[in-house]
Amino acid sequence: MKSLATALIWLLLVAAAPVRAADPAQAQSFIEGLGQRAVEILNEPDLDADRAVAQFRTLFRESFDIPTIGRFVLGRYWRTASREQQQEYLELFENMVVETYARRFTEYSGETFRVLGSRGEGEGDTMVQSQIVRPAGPPIQVAWRVRERNGQFRIIDVSIEGVSMAVTQRNEFGAVIQRNGGRIEPLLETLRGRITAARQG
Amino acid sequence: MTSSKEQMNGTGRLFRAIAAAATGIALSACAASTEGQLSTVDDVNDPFEPANRVVFAFNEAVDTVVIRPVAVTYDTFVPEGIQQGITNFLRNLRTPIILANELLQGDWEGAEVAASRLFLNTTLGLGGFIDIASYAQKEYQSEDFGQTLARWGVGEGPYLVLPILGPSNPRDAVGFATDVFADPVGYAATDGFNYARAGATVVDLRQQTLEATDELKRSSIDYYATTRSLYRQYRLNQIGDGAGAEAMPDIPDFEDIPEDEGAPVIDDGSAEQGVPGSAIPVASE
Repeated sequence: MKSLATALIWLLLVAAAPVRAADPAQAQSFIEGLGQRAVEILNEPDLDADRAVAQFRTLFRESFDIPTIGRFVLGRYWRTASREQQQEYLELFENMVVETYARRFTEYSGETFRVLGSRGEGEGDTMVQSQIVRPAGPPIQVAWRVRERNGQFRIIDVSIEGVSMAVTQRNEFGAVIQRNGGRIEPLLETLRGRITAARQG
Repeated sequence: MTSSKEQMNGTGRLFRAIAAAATGIALSACAASTEGQLSTVDDVNDPFEPANRVVFAFNEAVDTVVIRPVAVTYDTFVPEGIQQGITNFLRNLRTPIILANELLQGDWEGAEVAASRLFLNTTLGLGGFIDIASYAQKEYQSEDFGQTLARWGVGEGPYLVLPILGPSNPRDAVGFATDVFADPVGYAATDGFNYARAGATVVDLRQQTLEATDELKRSSIDYYATTRSLYRQYRLNQIGDGAGAEAMPDIPDFEDIPEDEGAPVIDDGSAEQGVPGSAIPVASE
């Protein structure tokens, strides 16, 4: 009986943990801080491309919860993967995201970044709304989904004009796995090739 | 006199033919239409995927050979200011249809914006080339009959890739045909103008998406699947007029689930039942 009571108390604590209200203002200043760091990197005198990419890699690894995104993206196929596949997949996914986006960030051409506000999302997450203002064309609406864990803020999804990058990536990986008879290995194979190509590019 | 009347009839016939074809495809599929929302993240809603992939490949070929090169040439040689003027002009031509759809959706605020835009941009904006209204916080918002149908509760139906027109579904195909058929500008203008407008619209839209599509193609593993996902999410966002709240996925807190406790109970965001595996082992300590 006593152990059952203990179990119930623990269960309540564990279940309640993610529900505690995150502070949207803090999440917002986290995103503002990231924007400032990105601008600092881009404004460095004598910026050379390789060093900028290296700095963005670090920034990405620090500010995105890539394991959470990666597991969400693999969806129900996570369960069917072996331990080794799961581990390799998370590594490949992290490298793919970092290589793809770090390089893109250095292709800067006069855009400005503006945080507009924030609102709660799901259980304890915060959506931080921002705008990327371009020299030509209408501004792009970008929302950052931020989750707090142990006082640390991490981005778990980016929504561009209402399109979730995590969902898009999940639908794509799902299609690749399905077209290969539900096997994960071909996806890993493709990701390995992609990362090698991106690093050379 | 006679020739212009013949032209009008010709245009009418063309639009009627497109409308009839699209409606025909669409109505048969509409019967089996599902809910208007993405029911779950993983439901790609694509029973005709093999056929869709064939049409998609055809469209990609046409794009590579004709449409993209024209858009690149346009992007390279036409000054940005003129490109913006053409975008504004084409949007202004679409505004009567946008206004009609705002009214049909009961969006009075949106209708007021569309009406002001039409008036301001046609007069002070020199026939629509200058988007004067946007300086008065009357921003362009795209509406179409597909969105109106969605607001009326019509489901999207299965995902379809239409020849040349690209990603769609029965609801949006009917919407597109209806907009073309109902467009007062189409009836008022000459045949030549309507063809030029259609061509310019394709080039204008393609030019605006050049960078994004190039980047997507480079970074995606399955471009068809990526496009499908983007189209459906983007449409949901448009239907909600950019509110964007309904489309956010449920992303579980994975770190609460220990890696070494066997099969995780919650791992895909759709299985909400069950207790995280961590609760009991912790209690037994």
